[in-house]
Amino acid sequence: MGNDTPTHPDPKGIFTDISVELTGFDRAELGGTGMVDTYYDTLLRMIGEREAGQLFRYAQEALDADRKEQRKDNAAFKKAVIDNPRFGPVALGLIKLWYLGRWYPLSAAYRDRFGSTADDVEHVVSGQGYREGLVWAAAGAHPMGAKPPGFGSWAEPPSPTP
Amino acid sequence: MSNLPVPDYDLVIVGGGISGAVIAKTVIEQAAKKKKFPRILILEAGRATALSADKYDTYVEAYHKALVKVPNSPYPASRSAPQPDVLDIRPLDNTDADPGGQGYFVQKGPMPFGSDYTRSLGGTTLHWLGTCLRMLPNDFKMRTTYNKGVDWPIDYEALKPYYERAEWDILGVAANVEHQHYPGLTGSPEEFFKSNNTTKFHEGSYHFPMAEIPSSWLDQYMAHTVDGMTISLPGKAKPEHTFKIKISNTPVARNSTPAAGYNVVGAVGNADQGQRCQGNSSCIPICPVQAKYNALKTLYELIVKYPDQLKAGEQPGTRARVTIQSQSVATNVVHTKATSTDKGKVTGLTYKKYYDDGAPPQGTPPTEYTVTARTYVLAANAIENATLLLASKAANTSDQVGRNLMDHPLLLTWGLLPENVGAYRGPGSTSGIPAFRDGAFRKDRTAFRVEIGNWGWNFPEDTPYTTVLDLVGGNEDGKAQLHGRELRKRLGEILPRQFRIAWELEQDPEGRNRVTVEDRYKDALGKHRPVIDYDLSDYMKASLPWAAEASRQLFEKLGMKNKVPHLPCEPEKPGRKKARSYETGDYTHYACDDASKVKYGGETYAVRGAGHVVGTHRMGADPTTSVVDSYQRSHDLPNLFIVGCGSMPTLGTSNPTLTMTALALRTGDEIAAKELSA
Repeated sequence: MGNDTPTHPDPKGIFTDISVELTGFDRAELGGTGMVDTYYDTLLRMIGEREAGQLFRYAQEALDADRKEQRKDNAAFKKAVIDNPRFGPVALGLIKLWYLGRWYPLSAAYRDRFGSTADDVEHVVSGQGYREGLVWAAAGAHPMGAKPPGFGSWAEPPSPTP
Repeated sequence: MSNLPVPDYDLVIVGGGISGAVIAKTVIEQAAKKKKFPRILILEAGRATALSADKYDTYVEAYHKALVKVPNSPYPASRSAPQPDVLDIRPLDNTDADPGGQGYFVQKGPMPFGSDYTRSLGGTTLHWLGTCLRMLPNDFKMRTTYNKGVDWPIDYEALKPYYERAEWDILGVAANVEHQHYPGLTGSPEEFFKSNNTTKFHEGSYHFPMAEIPSSWLDQYMAHTVDGMTISLPGKAKPEHTFKIKISNTPVARNSTPAAGYNVVGAVGNADQGQRCQGNSSCIPICPVQAKYNALKTLYELIVKYPDQLKAGEQPGTRARVTIQSQSVATNVVHTKATSTDKGKVTGLTYKKYYDDGAPPQGTPPTEYTVTARTYVLAANAIENATLLLASKAANTSDQVGRNLMDHPLLLTWGLLPENVGAYRGPGSTSGIPAFRDGAFRKDRTAFRVEIGNWGWNFPEDTPYTTVLDLVGGNEDGKAQLHGRELRKRLGEILPRQFRIAWELEQDPEGRNRVTVEDRYKDALGKHRPVIDYDLSDYMKASLPWAAEASRQLFEKLGMKNKVPHLPCEPEKPGRKKARSYETGDYTHYACDDASKVKYGGETYAVRGAGHVVGTHRMGADPTTSVVDSYQRSHDLPNLFIVGCGSMPTLGTSNPTLTMTALALRTGDEIAAKELSA
């Protein structure tokens, strides 16, 4: 986005910023999975456009505040999203979605208060989502059944994980 | 043939899996030497989805999309040809409910039978690991050597040439002879493998068709740490048994660097693919590139070389012909009873054709047929063979059909190593510890094989999923316990250190462990479902504390002495409580609701099925105590061969597919020699 932040915020851009914060993978890594659009749509399918809009607004304000104060712990984001009963459970779902490629339903307690859509059931979003699960990269491995690293690669020392 | 003119075949084979495919191929090739050209029908209960590369790919995609990635997850379930599901193993004690209400198997207990198989063309080789260990000489003579179980009607030396053919001509096995360190042998590995085929192997010096699959980094780490250590276990007669540990690369039907003169067989319909194992790390449930052998390869070769359709100008009887008919479930072996002068014989085979996705194509005749042939082969899996024979009241003078059901119950132990060993990379297992496969202790307890797993805690704990869920947490308060860079870092510290071993225990044959049929339990097509009585013997259970103790000593040597506490009755629900601390140590535990708990000597263990379904129509020389002879020919009905793992009288500690393949080759030779010459 650069310095000229648009007056009408780009929701997918904010979604990516939130995802970076939740996963510990940077924009390039997340973009490289090809899943940003799909997961953006998934979020909207689960909690609806209006609620997602609220999440984006709160998250962006918090991220802006963290940036302005140059906070390394991103305390404002944590308070506004992770620890917030309204957005915390959604953030949980997004972390699992990015890491595992599957949507785990929002908790019953959350649904009682804020509701969710009929699509909010456990499911694998797509074969690609499975293959792009961040857990495999975090483990220094590759998804089981895809992206094979080549004959004999398993005999080599593991790459150090960050 | 009751309702339409079905042609007469030389051979009808029930089951499009490895045994049926190997027998068809062998009969054709052996018969051709005598200028005989059989016509063969293979009936497959499941679908024929994967006989082209693009369709096989749909299995891979189905696996990626599957919510629960069990061995059968890529292969579509069918109500007409249902298959067992390892998720359907529930506790059996305390259920007043009719066990027939569950799944495909009707589990009568007291233990659930924990293994599955696949009812699709290609059979369970679609999701096998590919392990190809030969049985050891003593495995064939358990009664003589250890006064346990029964002897086979053939021995290792008799089967050896068929092992060689199975390794070279069918499976394509990758291994190095000099790295096969088995116990109980008087000589070196070279002597154990020494071949009588001096034309092919100079001075009988045997080698496999492909070099061994490289041992994983974990195997190398293990070898470095534990090779040469001695494990001591308490004995009965002898105060102590000692086992010298040596990590040994495991022979597998997985493509590697070929020896001179061997052509590597790639994917079906796409031979360039799968020329080498590429490290997809998903042999179970599916090898995406088919670098691992599956029976589709042999079946594909048959239909390409010997299509049933004659070309213009071709005369019948001038070459062999093979038809594969899928979605065709055998329901009755029609046969005559023995008289005072004659044995009985099979006169036809009834099967039902089904169409899951709607009505049969227009013009299709009625769905039940009876086909006739000169010779019949049942190759439908041990449990399916037994249910078909029992439902047909055939070939069971011995009362042994369905009995002596066996598996390799697995004791899993797992821990977190002090170092990054690169888990989740490579084939499911590349090495093992063969030290416990044979020895005098088999008089008192069964032998076991040790398989080192390369996929972390995937088998015992469904990782990496559960590790992520555990670390993220938040099920109670809705707040992520870890997120962002911290989460990523923590996963990188934990997952590559996950380690597990499977202690594969030999099960001994028992008449009470059996498959039966009851008319009240049938599937959607009206075929009998397998009703299973299953338990473990005290002889077998006696090896549980040994495996556990061997594991303890091994884990200690590997720096995992610390037994990480686990609430004894905590159901497996990640995120329920504070995440584990993931310190180095032994994480083995059993959930209190585990359906496969075993109590022995005051301790509780839990076992898993290995998918090695063995022993329901055992072979033997005596027709009163066995179902088939050493050629897998029915004692009662001489034109019927009942083949596969069901014929094995005892199991040893080898995964049974290689031995089943060797037996199928021997049967194929027999059929070509005796049956076609009439």
